[in-house]
Amino acid sequence: MMLSRVAERVFWLARYIERVENTARMVLVHSNLMYDLPKKIDMSWYRLIELTSSETLFAQLYDNKTEKSVMQMLLVEPNNPASLLSSLRFARENVRTTRDILPKETWNQINQLHLLLRSREADVQTRSKRNALMEEVIQHCQSMVGMFAGTLSQDETFAFLVMGRNLERADMTSRMLDEGGFFLGQQKHLEQVQAYENVLWANILRSVSGYLMYRQHVQTQIDGEGVVKFLLNDRLFPRSVTHCLFKVVEMLKVLPDGEVVRQEVDELTQILGQWSQFEAGSKELHDYLDSLQQGFIRVNNSIYQAWFIPKHRAA
Amino acid sequence: MMLVQDYTSPGCFDESLVEGGGARACSKALVDYVSPMDIKQLQDLQKLADATIARMGVSFTVYSDEGNIDRAWPFDIWPRVIDANEWRQVEKGLAQRLKALNCFIDDVYNERAIFKAGVVPDEVVFSSRNFRPECVGMKPKHQAWANICGTDLVRDASGAFFVLEDNLRVPSGVSYMLENRGVMKQVVPELFENLHIQPMGDYPNRLLSMLSSMSPNESGVPEVVVLTPGIYNSAYYEHAFLAHEMGAELVEGSDLLVGDDDYVYMRNIEGLKRVDVIYRRIDDEFIDPEVFCKDSTLGVPGLMRAWRAGKVAIANAPGCGVADDKVVYAYVPDMIRFYLNEEPLVKNVPTYLCSREDQRAYVLENIEKLVVKPANESGGYGMLVGPHASVQEHQAFRQLIAENPRNYIAQPTLSLSTVPTLCAEAIEPRHVDLRPFILQGANSYVTPGGLTRVAMVKGSLVVNSSQGGGSKDTWIVDLEVDDVI
Repeated sequence: MMLSRVAERVFWLARYIERVENTARMVLVHSNLMYDLPKKIDMSWYRLIELTSSETLFAQLYDNKTEKSVMQMLLVEPNNPASLLSSLRFARENVRTTRDILPKETWNQINQLHLLLRSREADVQTRSKRNALMEEVIQHCQSMVGMFAGTLSQDETFAFLVMGRNLERADMTSRMLDEGGFFLGQQKHLEQVQAYENVLWANILRSVSGYLMYRQHVQTQIDGEGVVKFLLNDRLFPRSVTHCLFKVVEMLKVLPDGEVVRQEVDELTQILGQWSQFEAGSKELHDYLDSLQQGFIRVNNSIYQAWFIPKHRAA
Repeated sequence: MMLVQDYTSPGCFDESLVEGGGARACSKALVDYVSPMDIKQLQDLQKLADATIARMGVSFTVYSDEGNIDRAWPFDIWPRVIDANEWRQVEKGLAQRLKALNCFIDDVYNERAIFKAGVVPDEVVFSSRNFRPECVGMKPKHQAWANICGTDLVRDASGAFFVLEDNLRVPSGVSYMLENRGVMKQVVPELFENLHIQPMGDYPNRLLSMLSSMSPNESGVPEVVVLTPGIYNSAYYEHAFLAHEMGAELVEGSDLLVGDDDYVYMRNIEGLKRVDVIYRRIDDEFIDPEVFCKDSTLGVPGLMRAWRAGKVAIANAPGCGVADDKVVYAYVPDMIRFYLNEEPLVKNVPTYLCSREDQRAYVLENIEKLVVKPANESGGYGMLVGPHASVQEHQAFRQLIAENPRNYIAQPTLSLSTVPTLCAEAIEPRHVDLRPFILQGANSYVTPGGLTRVAMVKGSLVVNSSQGGGSKDTWIVDLEVDDVI
């Protein structure tokens, strides 16, 4: 028993929280990369704007592609609907309108995170403070997810939370791989870039907290091919695309009438299964990731069709 | 001691301190606790309370606030304390009052015995815009129309309680009453350990069981929902809070539909699910566009049809607002005598009805001493406070009364009781009222205490949170329990 309207809000609540967490992760890992790589490598803060496909809005709001304006845009810009703060506000609004079915702590927790960010908005312009703040944000998001895991019955509400979170997560993982590929695709400084390839891929792994798990389960050298394979196809790592899709399928058992969704996910899993050895940084890999992202959109739309558009079945 | 020594509340009943800083018996423990503190320490407690409220996200909505739909709930840390012995009497009086009011509403829509007996003139009801002809002939279960009532009480200079008004339509504030308690437990846990303060957290259970007792469906667990106008309503916070605490669905009008079988259903991910009881927080005019306001998008087309067919219970029942009228209010003591054959346990504030010639003459002559109120407004709109008004305003109201006497009542200005309140640099007396909540279904229930609202501006009598008022926790303290141990 769950209202369609509420199901939709819960689904998006999970997506927004995951987006908040991923934005914080992205900023952290990018900062780390900036410190690790030598200056001559073409690597700028503005790359983050490209990665989030927000170039147009950025140009409207800012004159310079500086660290300051990039951080403002990405983290706290109220006019950017995809900024971390905006995502958090949307998440909070969705908790506010579904409080009747969520554990009370959810509301407290999201308020705390909101207060934290509001009171420390200025910190995003100081590197050391920013990194500390991002780590706190990630912790808050994780504790919300943990709270859901530990206090919610694994019913429909839970199912929509898990589906929302995993779709958003899969999307983000594919974008991070694209980020890695982007650097290697730069022909100009190929030699210098290649010298730092391992540093780059290690950072990509860290951005999804996958460094240790990669080490434990893959064990080989950290290289582009291994990381791409791990983050796309590993069956056990919670942020790999394959695992995220498993989670979606698992939740379908809890929900009524999920056939359409099932079909879309199956097709996407098939695409994942047809893995061939892409060269990291190649156009083929980029196109492949692009086709995955199209697939996520199709899954998302099928979820809408199945549950969020209110049915008018006569009594 | 500096804090309380110089405290006075001239001409008023102060609920905590008497002149010179001495405490009333029920407030002694509180005053002993606070006395060693300086103003800084009290301010720190207030900050802790404010931070707790922000973290808990306790908020309310003010319509005029553009873009800022939730504002932090205003709260003062000095609680209002009432002796349990005194409260027991009030409690009985409130249950008695709601019972009589429900007898009256039922009578109005059915037998109309009270008119025939000449106790209440029938034009009082038939001229009321809250009278709904669509409800004539209805007989809700347990004779309960107004299932949830928020009655506003005040104390006069002698300390006696009076009923100021009954809110029978969609009374709000109960969630804040409960949240205030949660905040105080964070701020002064020691006092809760050492004093026997009656708990009030049971309200959502009582509400759910009252609502369930109204269900037309006798078999199985009734499906109870809370119907809200949506997130922009000023009481949305409360709607979500109560739904959560009861484990009931919070629905908007568009989530519900009435089938051809006259049952009410909600749209959910599996299709449609039947609803047995609706705790509506939408005014009558908007609940069913087929019957009332045609362009309402908040309500559910066909809801009145479902209710009249006995397929769903609605709390509060449509039409119950007929008793939520300041002219009807004046007759409540007579209703108690008529229906229950009892004497009212809590008094009305003396009220002059402008529709009665003799009383109108008194009002017109003494308007500068009186408070004049329109019969049907809420939230303090359209009032005249005689002693604070100009000669021109007096004249204007005389004119209004002469034109439409039915719409006006007048009452003497009371000096409302005060409670010490933390202000910028000291504790100062501020006026308070009290809204307890009374439930009536198969059984009746009165909250231990209620929502205390406080006028934060010196000398002001306006306690509405939309107009800068604040709130306090309300403690019903049982002094005798502690001696038993």
